[in-house]
Amino acid sequence: MRCISRQSFLIGVAASVAAPSALAFGQAGAFHPRILLTGSTTWAGPRQRAPERWGWELVRRTSAPARAVCQTVRASDSRLLAEPFCVWAGEGEIAPLTRRELHFLGRFIQLGGVMVVDDFEPHAGIFGRAARRELARVLPETPPVRLDPSHVLFKTFYMLERPVGRVLGVDHVDAIVRGNNAQVLFLAHDLLGALAQSENGEWVFETESPDPMFREQAARLAVNIGMYLLCSDYKDDQVHAPYLMRRRAAR
Amino acid sequence: MGLADVSWAFSEDLSGAWVWGALGLGALSILLLALETARTERRRFWVLASGVLATVLLLSAVLRPVAVSLRANSVGPKVVVLLDGSTRLLIPSDGKTRRARAIAAAKAISSTFKDARVSVLEFGVGAPHALQGDGEGGSLSVESDLTAALSQLNSLAQEKPQAYVLLSDGRLSRPTFDDDLTRLKQLALGVPVHTVSIADVDPPDAAIRAVHAAGAAVAHQPLSLTIELGCSGGLSCNEIPVEIHELRYGVPKALLASGVAKLNQDSGKIELQVTLDRAGTRVVEVSIAAPPGDSLPENNSRVIAFTVTRDRIRLLHVAGRPTYDVRSLRMWLKSDESVDLVAFFILRSNEDDTRTTSNSELALIPFPVDELFTEHLPSFDAVVLQDLDAVAYHLAQHLPALARYVESGGGLIMVGGPTSFAGGRYAGTELERVLPVRLLSSEKPFDLEQFVPSYTDSGRAAPVLRGLRDLFGDALPEMPGANILGAPRENALVLWEHPRKKIGDTPMPVLALGEAGDGRSIALGVDGTHLLAFSEFADEGSGRGFGALWDGLLGWLMRDPRFEAARTELVGECSEGQPTTLMLTRLPSMQGDVTLTLERLGVTQVEPIIQRIPNPPPGPIKIVLSDLKAGGYIAKAKIGSAPPTRYDFACERGGQAWSDSRVDPARLGRIANITGGKAVTVSGLSSLPIPRPAEVAAERRVSALLPAWVWSLLAAVALGAHWLLRRDSGLV
Repeated sequence: MRCISRQSFLIGVAASVAAPSALAFGQAGAFHPRILLTGSTTWAGPRQRAPERWGWELVRRTSAPARAVCQTVRASDSRLLAEPFCVWAGEGEIAPLTRRELHFLGRFIQLGGVMVVDDFEPHAGIFGRAARRELARVLPETPPVRLDPSHVLFKTFYMLERPVGRVLGVDHVDAIVRGNNAQVLFLAHDLLGALAQSENGEWVFETESPDPMFREQAARLAVNIGMYLLCSDYKDDQVHAPYLMRRRAAR
Repeated sequence: MGLADVSWAFSEDLSGAWVWGALGLGALSILLLALETARTERRRFWVLASGVLATVLLLSAVLRPVAVSLRANSVGPKVVVLLDGSTRLLIPSDGKTRRARAIAAAKAISSTFKDARVSVLEFGVGAPHALQGDGEGGSLSVESDLTAALSQLNSLAQEKPQAYVLLSDGRLSRPTFDDDLTRLKQLALGVPVHTVSIADVDPPDAAIRAVHAAGAAVAHQPLSLTIELGCSGGLSCNEIPVEIHELRYGVPKALLASGVAKLNQDSGKIELQVTLDRAGTRVVEVSIAAPPGDSLPENNSRVIAFTVTRDRIRLLHVAGRPTYDVRSLRMWLKSDESVDLVAFFILRSNEDDTRTTSNSELALIPFPVDELFTEHLPSFDAVVLQDLDAVAYHLAQHLPALARYVESGGGLIMVGGPTSFAGGRYAGTELERVLPVRLLSSEKPFDLEQFVPSYTDSGRAAPVLRGLRDLFGDALPEMPGANILGAPRENALVLWEHPRKKIGDTPMPVLALGEAGDGRSIALGVDGTHLLAFSEFADEGSGRGFGALWDGLLGWLMRDPRFEAARTELVGECSEGQPTTLMLTRLPSMQGDVTLTLERLGVTQVEPIIQRIPNPPPGPIKIVLSDLKAGGYIAKAKIGSAPPTRYDFACERGGQAWSDSRVDPARLGRIANITGGKAVTVSGLSSLPIPRPAEVAAERRVSALLPAWVWSLLAAVALGAHWLLRRDSGLV
């Protein structure tokens, strides 16, 4: 299975480089952490390669295929609706969303899309608060709620105790939940910062703790988010319950 | 016919009050005259006599009396012979059938009641009808309802008969032996019902008297069947083995349950539990091993069609790797409350590096492929295999069982992906034969060219895709490549095809449906239907396209009537040797030629019966089939180019009508007694009382005894004579 995934990953690389809109068979459904851009922002800086690392971690650890080259998408662009996942990441204040951006973000959520909001400076929390403010304009009747530690997000692949990114941050994840689906995940942990690598393959940022397991926990959270996107609440199925309960008890 | 009595009346045109008034006045006059004449001695008698005469004549001149003659017709009595029209009367009796004896008795009644107007009516369910010809042929009924027959006869505006004569073996559907016969007496309207028992002796017979189900049949749920058994005619039965099989298409019947029934005083019952895994109409055969000497083997088995419902569709979804396509399907299935979903996704292989030191760090469980595809497979209504390598995940060894599962009525959908179809190493396996398309192992497993699938004519006509076409018409999203699929199999229909790629001379199938034994299968050779759920294209339909597609595919797989081109029903019951009528009701949009293919369930060498009806007009179509033998049948109706719709039904020899072969003369006796009739056997027909002829008044003639002027003249003369006599006697 890994061979297939890696083959798909390589096909994805080729397809993505050759023609961003043309995907090979088996790649249209691959995990693709697109970076969401609003206003006049652009995607540049030390975390630029973090989405690819996210996909790479998913492919090497799981059977899920992922796109090797990740794209950005503007909230004002109808291509936002092309795939069900995007990452809204940044730091500092956000310019108010335009009506067009609100429209497409609304359609994205209505169709069942999943968004991760990642704050590069969670201690300040400016970006996170701004993103919540703007998303409240998109979904005024659905405020964020705190996900229970038993939420499926923490067991979609790895058994996780809490969210971790570049920083330890808060011990929980807030989310906008519609129906049974957590569609917007608010991370205050700089997840992309933990995944960011330079062209030489070196980690760009030190994690808050020098323990290598700290970054490993961040990678595991990234994998779990990817599996949550692809499998939704699969691990909440009754068939998994006795296994997972025994493993929780054993830890 | 003859003259009836001649009578007279005081007056033809005066009312009763005037007549009685005049008579009273006349009587008073005579009384006064008598008192008056009492005072004289001379000519007293003559005065009185002439006075009375004058009074009478004067009254006659006033009233003008008339003579009335009635001429009447006399006709023979009307006798209605009611012949039991149940197939039960086809039970042999003394070298003939009970029906033959009944028909002979009807003829004997006609000759016995020479002067009677005898009509022979046959009754089953509802209104009785005249016996056709010699009574050999025609359509018989399973039931024989005397109560309904009398009720229907009463509703007709016709002459009431003087007598009914019932010809039966006594084992009527109604009234039953325990019924209160008061109602029957009321329906007879005072007319006696004579009964003729057409058989006297019970044949030696072990039989299944009845099969009762405790509640409705639900897929995967145990169903208790109570089988009532009987033994009659002196046959010795202590223990009778009972078996229950399910009749399936193209494969041998499957044993569901068995047991031994113990009989006490020639009757007994046994309760057996069966589990029917497939929803829809399932045909079950209940049979017994009768002891030697049994003269009616026909009622040793019953073939019964059960309508099996399901509370929820139990679906197994197995995916080789998680993708957006898997996500979309899972989320749609989970959102459907009618689906009980069991999912297994391959989330890692042994080659993946999870970077863990212990499995307890992972939320993964082993893929229980052996357990799923052996122990639990029958419990699922359908299986979805999505992008799963059969060899890598050890499914290959279970493919023969999976094929048998489909042929036994299960549903299968194979969804495309790099490791589906030939890419998943399914080519040349047992499973391939139940797929609606052939797989080409020599070709590359998939094609990377992007394309938009094209609807075929069948795709446009199929109700299964109507929901999707209502949203998008013929438009579909662009797919990122396709699995290479071979030519469709016989009885398969291609709904989507590749616009450019060909297999031989025909376009490559992309979406195909097919029947495989009792089951159905679908091949979907793309992994991009999630683009109907989430994409710029999907947004035009608010993401409803994916649900519309899969609602249709899953519904068709589960034989949901919404996605069938037509509905087929059996009119009445199917009895061997009797014409069988199927009613085919098409969806309003379904047009084109109708082809009905009838095949027997089980393994059979019998050629299917095919009826073609070229472009029939709108409305229900009645299809009459003859010469059906007992057993289970599958009727496939194809309307135009739409996928065929299937209807399963049971046909029996004897059936419920033959389940109790005993005669019941006691019931006939009770019917005769309560209606004032006489109960006889065939040999006692001549002792039946012949009703009196019926008289019908046809003509009434009125004529005056004398003209009015004659009465007046005579009255005047009499009065004059009376006056002369009075004067002579000194009364004036």
